[in-house]
Amino acid sequence: MAYAAGVDVGSTQTKAVIVSAARVVTGRALTDTGANVMRAAETAFRMALEDSGLAEEEIEYVVGTGYGRYKVTFGNTQVTEISCHARGAVHLFPRTRTVLDMGGQDTKAIRVSPGGEIIDFCMNDKCAAGTGRFLGAAATALDLPLAELGPTALRGERPVKITTTCTVFAESEVLSWLGKGKKIEDILLGVHESIASRSIGLLRRVGIESEVTFTGGVTRNAAMVSTLNRRLGLTVNVGEEAHYMGAIGAALFALDRVIATRAAPSSVEPLSA
Amino acid sequence: MTETTLTGRGVEHGAQLFREWFQQLTAGAERGQGAAYVFVMGSLCELLRVFDFPVVFPEINSLQTAVRRVAHEYLNEAESYGYSPDICGYVKADVAVQLRGGAHPMGKIPKPALAVCTNACNTYVKWGEIWQRMYGMPLFTLDIPGTRGAGLASTPGSVDFERDRRYVEAQLRELITLCAQVSGKRFDIDRLREHMAHANTMSAGWHEVLELNRSRPAVFNALSDGTVFLGVANGFRGTAQGAQYFTELVEEMRQKAEQHIGTPIDEKWRLIFVGVPCYPIFRRFSELFSDWGGVFVNSTYLRFASGGAHLGFRYDLAHPIESLAHGVLVGVRDAMDNMFFQAPALAEMIDTHSADGVVFHPIKSCRTVSTGLADTRRALMATRDVPSLFIESDLMDRRVVSEAQMKNRIDAFFEGLAARKHQEA
Amino acid sequence: MTAVVPRESVVADWLGQPLEDVLSRARDLVEDATFPTVRRWREAGGKVLGHFQVYFPEEIAHAAGLLPFKVRGAPLEPAHAESHFGSYLCSIIKTSLELALANGVELDAFITHPICDAARNLAGVWGRNVTYPCRILYLPQNPNSAFAATYLRDEYARIRDLCHEIAGRPVTDDGLHASIAVFNENRALLRRLYSLRREQPWLLPVHEAYVLVALAGLIPRQEHNALLRALLPQLKRRRVAKQDKIRVIVEGGFCEQPPLDLLRAIARSCYVVDDDLLIGLRWLTSDVPVTGEPLFALAASYIDRSAHSPVQHDLRKPKEKMLLERLDTANAQAAILLAAKMCEPGLEELVVHTRALDGRGVRYFVSEFEENMSSFDQLEIQLETFVENLLFD
Repeated sequence: MAYAAGVDVGSTQTKAVIVSAARVVTGRALTDTGANVMRAAETAFRMALEDSGLAEEEIEYVVGTGYGRYKVTFGNTQVTEISCHARGAVHLFPRTRTVLDMGGQDTKAIRVSPGGEIIDFCMNDKCAAGTGRFLGAAATALDLPLAELGPTALRGERPVKITTTCTVFAESEVLSWLGKGKKIEDILLGVHESIASRSIGLLRRVGIESEVTFTGGVTRNAAMVSTLNRRLGLTVNVGEEAHYMGAIGAALFALDRVIATRAAPSSVEPLSA
Repeated sequence: MTETTLTGRGVEHGAQLFREWFQQLTAGAERGQGAAYVFVMGSLCELLRVFDFPVVFPEINSLQTAVRRVAHEYLNEAESYGYSPDICGYVKADVAVQLRGGAHPMGKIPKPALAVCTNACNTYVKWGEIWQRMYGMPLFTLDIPGTRGAGLASTPGSVDFERDRRYVEAQLRELITLCAQVSGKRFDIDRLREHMAHANTMSAGWHEVLELNRSRPAVFNALSDGTVFLGVANGFRGTAQGAQYFTELVEEMRQKAEQHIGTPIDEKWRLIFVGVPCYPIFRRFSELFSDWGGVFVNSTYLRFASGGAHLGFRYDLAHPIESLAHGVLVGVRDAMDNMFFQAPALAEMIDTHSADGVVFHPIKSCRTVSTGLADTRRALMATRDVPSLFIESDLMDRRVVSEAQMKNRIDAFFEGLAARKHQEA
Repeated sequence: MTAVVPRESVVADWLGQPLEDVLSRARDLVEDATFPTVRRWREAGGKVLGHFQVYFPEEIAHAAGLLPFKVRGAPLEPAHAESHFGSYLCSIIKTSLELALANGVELDAFITHPICDAARNLAGVWGRNVTYPCRILYLPQNPNSAFAATYLRDEYARIRDLCHEIAGRPVTDDGLHASIAVFNENRALLRRLYSLRREQPWLLPVHEAYVLVALAGLIPRQEHNALLRALLPQLKRRRVAKQDKIRVIVEGGFCEQPPLDLLRAIARSCYVVDDDLLIGLRWLTSDVPVTGEPLFALAASYIDRSAHSPVQHDLRKPKEKMLLERLDTANAQAAILLAAKMCEPGLEELVVHTRALDGRGVRYFVSEFEENMSSFDQLEIQLETFVENLLFD
């Protein structure tokens, strides 16, 4: 039985996933990236191995992805997280045609063909407005734990209009609304609306085609999911594995290589130049 | 594969010519000689050289500060002087050059005795107004009416075309009078013919060189080599040296095409470039593509930034002024069309040059080039099933150039190209 | 002059109403980003020619029986238009397209002039996304050429031909003369309005004046004339006490428009005695002759008897001179210099303007703005501080 692994080194968290030749996830792990990126990759990989009960020698190919993909030194190659998120999303939701990945620090919109090929992508990584970071800033301003943001926002009825385009000023705008007597629920809903609006702007650039799969850490926020659904006029796919989407995609790319090498060892070109 | 002695000559000679040009400018600046400040879209070098004006291209000076990695100093200086971070980086770098009395990494830039701008870029005019205030020298704005709507470029010989052409001609005659006044020299129509003849050679050569890149492998990289050729096309327009250069360049490229000699890159992907190169990390930017075997086979930049010289328009030397008006109109108008109405031209380029992908590179500094690119890309994607990449940065300001982010997107683009090829197989 | 299509007048039932009512209705119309007057004109069978900032020879469209509609963006989120453009762009470029794509603004033609590098892309972008003709009017950027007027006359002939095509009927010289007369009157009335603001600024604060001027771009000009004719005496009779506010000019509203609330905020501490807001509607500074070749008359007026802006280059109108003239003619004490975010010509002009004012020792307040900004706290505090400095000098 062949096994392959994907390691997704993100700015805040590193995820590792192991898949079997049957394309089933047999192990997964998550750790904070911290300052030592290489160590985080190794740790996540080891933890995933433990989770799967496999030995390192049983993993035939490792693909690194994420912003730290070149630091996965034990990996065989690297693939961008754009390709990996698309791959992962289509694997989990085969009718995916558009992917929205909202991470801690960047947001990606990807359109894919029925075959899973990337048709177009667009990223917001110049500024944190429209990413999970914006939520973090609001949480700080309101002194709320992140996990409470979603449920609180869901209770909002009349979202305030958040005009600031800069996360740095998000805090002061939130406080300013509080000062004007607005309810926390409505302010938070407004923050979610603002982030959703920016994300949809990205989606429009690549073209929105159903089904839309939502991935990344922010998927656990029910208010974000419901806001997106409402504004898009459809129901986005959200999976349990959303956090691991990039790593799953990477593992699947790794598996491709394993299968291809076995099939025709000498005639296949590597994915990267 | 046999190596010819000609391979690489164009790039080498081009760099050499460039150095000589700046040496001459420096010498002139030291003598206190005033130059004609011109722009790549409608430089009128053919005419200005009749009056022996040394020619300065501030756009080229500015991009050189970026290539030589000192642009940020110049930009900071201009911003301290009062110019917004959000305006064209070329303008700001030049303001700093002027504030420094012409000091430039390639030598010394003479002050302007005269500036000629066209309306091909509105910023040209504002830029000219800045020089007016610094030096009080005459600013001539040559107004060149462009295409009025998609697919509506008037045909030479038609009433509409003639209306525009005679307006350009009337202005050229006014410019001649001004040049004579400023230089103190008389207008010699035979010298005009001479310079126009050289320009004919250069334009025909440029046209052919671009066409030769249909070859497999491509004979030059439109992004990197192309900018060297472009520099000569502009800086030496209308000169005997420029004509000689292009004659030799055609010879080199023809030979490479015949012998199937390509660029040093192992050509895996043929690409079209749309926009202006990322000069702050020029070499690295090119490598981000060539590392994947990506070779640029054509570029709209080489069209508009040569003022439409790629058309290979042939001046009629029997009627020099009338024909100059005709050629300038046709060339600058085409340059503008390659920025605003270029979707059909891009589709054609994909076909003629067998392109695998198109890279759109809008830049913060230049709204002329960048404003319509996202929409042009949509239009192109609707007519050609060819993958394209959209990456934003700048031509001068490294503060908005993120190599890591660009690499991420570029890598994803090539991953996509490879996956597509794999699926088709 | 009769319009092609007989329809109800927009403002007929406003005439004779109390001033405050009229101002309120005018404001609603001006702020309505669905532009109902345009819709109603079309519903009645009329055709609309949309023209972008800054100036357009509306007389030609008017003579063809078309409604000339000034496209000037709107304070809204360009949710659909956004993806047609990249970053680092002014808002008006995007919101204007948004009006066409998603705000129900239907036109029969759209004409732009290359005022700046962003705007010169409009015809291309719009042309790829709407079904009606999108054309560029190349107003001369070398108005100092002796040939410019002839060239412009020919260019206007092209516009006339397009209007003919859209309207389905020819534009005659008589028709043009009649339209020119209507617009001459309009410009004269607008000059009187501005005169009133210079002489008795307390009678008409800038945000109210703005609304009255902006209406011109939305409704048939002869109706606007009727309205202004009725309002001017009413304004003169207004009972408003003169207050101790400084007299300022506002410069920078030639293209993207500052939000009304921003103008209101300025009016709280200043009397704006002159400005360049929607200057395109007041571009020609004196009557266009109503005899002789009308297109040539319009062209000559454009070249020789017109206002100034950062996007028009004319050796006879150096920016410093024009700014100081405006300041002096309006007898203003200070200047408010605005620039729309990402507006290249506006931002470049700021350098020229500030230096000119420094040279004269005139105080000024500089601010960037965006048409869809909604919070002005920061700006107001700074402006008030500026004003206090002047008042208590």
